[in-house]
Amino acid sequence: MSENIKFSPETTDTSQTPSTTRRTFLKAFAGAGAAVSLSGKLAWANGEIGFWAKDLPPEKLTEMFSTMLRIRWFERTMVDKMLTEPGYRGYNHFYPGQEAVAVGVCSALNNTGAFEDVDLIYSTHRPSGHAIAKGVDIKKMAAEYDFRATGLNKGYAAEMHIADKSVGFMGADGMIGPGPVMAAGSAFAIKARGSKQVVVNFGGDGTYATPAFHGALNNAALLKLPFIYVLENNLYHQYAHYSYSCPMKDIAEAAGPYGIPGVVVDGQDVLQVYNAAKEAVDRARAGQGPTLIEAKTYRYYNHWGAPGAKPGVLGAFGYDPLAITSFRPEREVRAWLARDPIDIFRKTLVNWEVMDQAKADETEAAVKQEAIDAFAWADEQPLCDPEHGVKNVFVEGTVPARQLA
Amino acid sequence: MARKSWMYSVLEAVQYEMRQDKNMTWIFELTPPVASNPGKPVINLETEFGRSRVVNTGIDEMWMAGCVLGSGLAGSKSVTYIPYQGNCMCFQMIQNHAGKLRHMTGGDAEMPVVFILEMTGQSPGFAGQHSDYEIDTYYAHIPGVKTVIPSTPTDAKGMMVSAIRDPNPIVYLYPAGLRSLVEDVPDEQYETPLDKAAVRIEGGDITIVGSGGSMPEVMKAAEQLQQEGAGVEAIDLRSLKPMDTETLVNSVQKTKRLLTVDQSYYTLCPGAEVIARVAENVDGARFKRIAFPDAPPPASPEMFLWMRPNADHVVAAARKLLD
Repeated sequence: MSENIKFSPETTDTSQTPSTTRRTFLKAFAGAGAAVSLSGKLAWANGEIGFWAKDLPPEKLTEMFSTMLRIRWFERTMVDKMLTEPGYRGYNHFYPGQEAVAVGVCSALNNTGAFEDVDLIYSTHRPSGHAIAKGVDIKKMAAEYDFRATGLNKGYAAEMHIADKSVGFMGADGMIGPGPVMAAGSAFAIKARGSKQVVVNFGGDGTYATPAFHGALNNAALLKLPFIYVLENNLYHQYAHYSYSCPMKDIAEAAGPYGIPGVVVDGQDVLQVYNAAKEAVDRARAGQGPTLIEAKTYRYYNHWGAPGAKPGVLGAFGYDPLAITSFRPEREVRAWLARDPIDIFRKTLVNWEVMDQAKADETEAAVKQEAIDAFAWADEQPLCDPEHGVKNVFVEGTVPARQLA
Repeated sequence: MARKSWMYSVLEAVQYEMRQDKNMTWIFELTPPVASNPGKPVINLETEFGRSRVVNTGIDEMWMAGCVLGSGLAGSKSVTYIPYQGNCMCFQMIQNHAGKLRHMTGGDAEMPVVFILEMTGQSPGFAGQHSDYEIDTYYAHIPGVKTVIPSTPTDAKGMMVSAIRDPNPIVYLYPAGLRSLVEDVPDEQYETPLDKAAVRIEGGDITIVGSGGSMPEVMKAAEQLQQEGAGVEAIDLRSLKPMDTETLVNSVQKTKRLLTVDQSYYTLCPGAEVIARVAENVDGARFKRIAFPDAPPPASPEMFLWMRPNADHVVAAARKLLD
């Protein structure tokens, strides 16, 4: 085990129930709120990671909670549309279960301002969480997912290719491999021009197996780039368990040979993700180079779409015909649902007296309505003009319609 | 003979060959080598041949292509099934290695391998990266690799048998949009040649040439044109390299009119090669080609379906040649 790997308590000690761990965790903070008062276990667990999240103002914590809910209800609203509206054409690789990762990371970034100042993130084929956490407008996303002319990318992108430069959301990517290399390339440009921006690449456990994983980290380490690789280990690449494509349990171990920090973090706990991300961002901004963060997490739905899901019920259970080789057991899904990132954060916020249960419920109801309204707005948006398909190929003009003789 | 799906027909061919050759391997990601068919036993290559010969691997198409190529060089027949989103990740391995090693080694290297490369282009909504069809052009350009593309389950099976038995590296293009086709397919093993186009309909007025995913639209258009009284000769290329120049030239020699139909991008599409070969050999013929515009496939089905050549486009283009 490499020295530069840090562990969070809930990922290493699986014998503890989540609630016990949570109580221990909260007890440690309830009284003093100072590092010196931390129990030995927690001090060990967090290693050199400071618990920065405890310094966050209530407004920021509340915003993080709302953002997690916005991701959750954007996705759940869409799941239900896919299941109940036969004419609905949108599709998605659903993100619920992983909200703490996107929100924990993006909360440590600069998400507003000029394009030259905003931090950049590169996303994946499962982009909703990253996009919403970075601040992309969910109405425009809903319209784009349904191929509307007024969608985020005018109907050219659909779910797998959405992008919004205005908030530093460099785009979803339907491919596994090229993303991290391009992200490192952006970090290279940023360093070369002396900007203080940082670049985050989100990638799944499946990205470990690609040659690009090495290419991105190797060059980011060699050039000390302001680059953070957030590897969301949700246990499955497409339909196969990550043990089919990765020989070690903790992918963060891969950081060792590059001489960069490799951090394992509980991806269900937004504050732990935030702490690790803040450390990595500070490091990157200070010119100290890249970090690999492995967030242990889980997706409640299958790889693609909503097979096995029921309207109004969180998660997908049962058999997905494409998962023949590596079937996802229902008990596994239920075990992860029991450590829901939104429940965990809600308990913390109530315990910290940032909000009470009633306020939390009220917040959730408002965000849920916002998601419903976004999809209702999208339903009313115009479809694309077919002939616009030959636009936007180059900066100027159109290309000829070669299907016509 | 029984009604079989495309995938069942292909896996039936592979299963038979793997039973004969205990060294043969299969590498996949995403798409399990499993197929069922009414009234037939389920085929599951992974459970039948075990995980040392049939490997579910990471999302690393360079490895997948390199693995079968290396297997071939080491003396084992090997096949990989690369799903559509990764079908160019492995380009270098096929273009600069599989395509050149025999020649570079003065004929020493042996590569009895098949790269099954899935391609979409038929499914509206997938957008850009998941809607590619243009790989027919890319792979057909490579010397030293045979690039074939079936358009029916029957050909899919026969051409898979031939591909596995061929001592050369084969790029076997798999148009995912045709996966839903079902037809009567023989139960026994049979070989379909990898260098012969198929004349699907004979006629004397106009030759229409397509391949893979464009063939159902070509056939639909041919029927309509026949009803209008035109003698249509519809040709399915089946093999892009080597290309069956003789069949093409003989046909246009007769009809003096050639229309090519591609779902690939217009520039350098297979039809461009067809027209060039015919033009070199037939005097006094007229030509047209239709293809997907030189633009990435957009997500919006409205845009995509307007751009993708369909039977109406084929009929309209044919009428211009027939006038």
